[in-house]
Amino acid sequence: MTDVTPTKTLDVCGKICPYPDMNTMTTLKKMEKGEILEVLLDYPLSVERIPRNLKKQGHNLLSSEQLDGPNYRLLIEAHGLK
Amino acid sequence: MEAVVTGLFVGLLFGFVLQRGRFCMNSAFRDAILLKDNILLKTVFVALLVELVGFSIMDMTGAIAINPKPFWWGANLLGSFIFGIGMVLAGGCASGITYRVGEGMVGSMTAVLGLALGGYITAAGFLKTFKGNLQAATTISGADGKALTLHGILGMDYTTLALILFAIAIVAWYFIARKNGEEYEVDKGWGWITTGTLVGFVGILAFPLSAAAGRNYPLGITAGWINIVQTIFTGGEFNWIGMLIIGIIVGGLVAALIAKEFKFRVPKPLVLVQTFGGGLLMGFGAVTSGGCNIGHLLSGIPQLSLGSILAGVSIVLGAWAASYVMFVLPQKKAE
Repeated sequence: MTDVTPTKTLDVCGKICPYPDMNTMTTLKKMEKGEILEVLLDYPLSVERIPRNLKKQGHNLLSSEQLDGPNYRLLIEAHGLK
Repeated sequence: MEAVVTGLFVGLLFGFVLQRGRFCMNSAFRDAILLKDNILLKTVFVALLVELVGFSIMDMTGAIAINPKPFWWGANLLGSFIFGIGMVLAGGCASGITYRVGEGMVGSMTAVLGLALGGYITAAGFLKTFKGNLQAATTISGADGKALTLHGILGMDYTTLALILFAIAIVAWYFIARKNGEEYEVDKGWGWITTGTLVGFVGILAFPLSAAAGRNYPLGITAGWINIVQTIFTGGEFNWIGMLIIGIIVGGLVAALIAKEFKFRVPKPLVLVQTFGGGLLMGFGAVTSGGCNIGHLLSGIPQLSLGSILAGVSIVLGAWAASYVMFVLPQKKAE
């Protein structure tokens, strides 16, 4: 899935709870259907919580990739609620 | 000497479980309204139910004698509401910000500094008189002079009521879970039943060990931070709960290192000020109310203390009020 070109990149590394989740969700809301959001994050709780809550909003998790240590890269396809 | 060893031991276990289970009551309460995510809330309920059974059996067999906190309605309401606001600003509950120090979260490090300082000035500094007066003015004791408890009010034996409540909770849970078609979800960390059960067992283990060290109460956080401040700045020695805190940090660090999740994460300077301020409010609130989310919620509610139940409700309301103002309102405005 890493060959997908993201439409937009969101770096939430270093942010405290719950900003990684909040920023991801608000960014996704503003995106068109089918656009891809790349999220870079390092907060373990959100690495699990974001994928769990994406489905409820209708967004689609394409991949969750561990870069090194707690650093993760999520690729999310926006549902297009705009 | 023994207090140092058992406090550290329980802390190590607690910190490990908190980190692996991502256990945080701030997230638990806030996420329920903000993200409609109930996983951590369910974890809290499991932990409380496990402790309810454990404490009641230990009390019945004489392994422990429960020691419910007093009912100070004004101090419980005000202190815990402010604590709830504080933990949303700090980005974690008292136990959450403590174990995250071990994960390398710099925002949590400034938060615990605030918690320790806020707690210290309320326990022994210039806010001591205010706290003492509020507690004294709003105390309601039972007819026998003891702390108000649910079993005391109902004229029942603690163990009997605890086991009845446990049975009611399990039956209610079964029907709610069946209605919602719930599944047991497992993430990269632990699932909620695993985490909740382990947190509950750490609480059960803590009670007799802490009592043996002369402190007849299960887990707590804020008093431990105050002990650390006193030991460093005014001389004295680490007690059971001070060692518990050191154990939690080291346990969280070990768990994070094993999972390759340790990293120094530095938020913007303004966020550090925010988490420090949140910590200050938490310290003031916890000492005023007589306990934080661990002392009151996790340790006090299973002992059926009315003060702890009120404090628990007030923490949740404070967290919801702060979450609404900080996160929900800005979102609504943006839309």
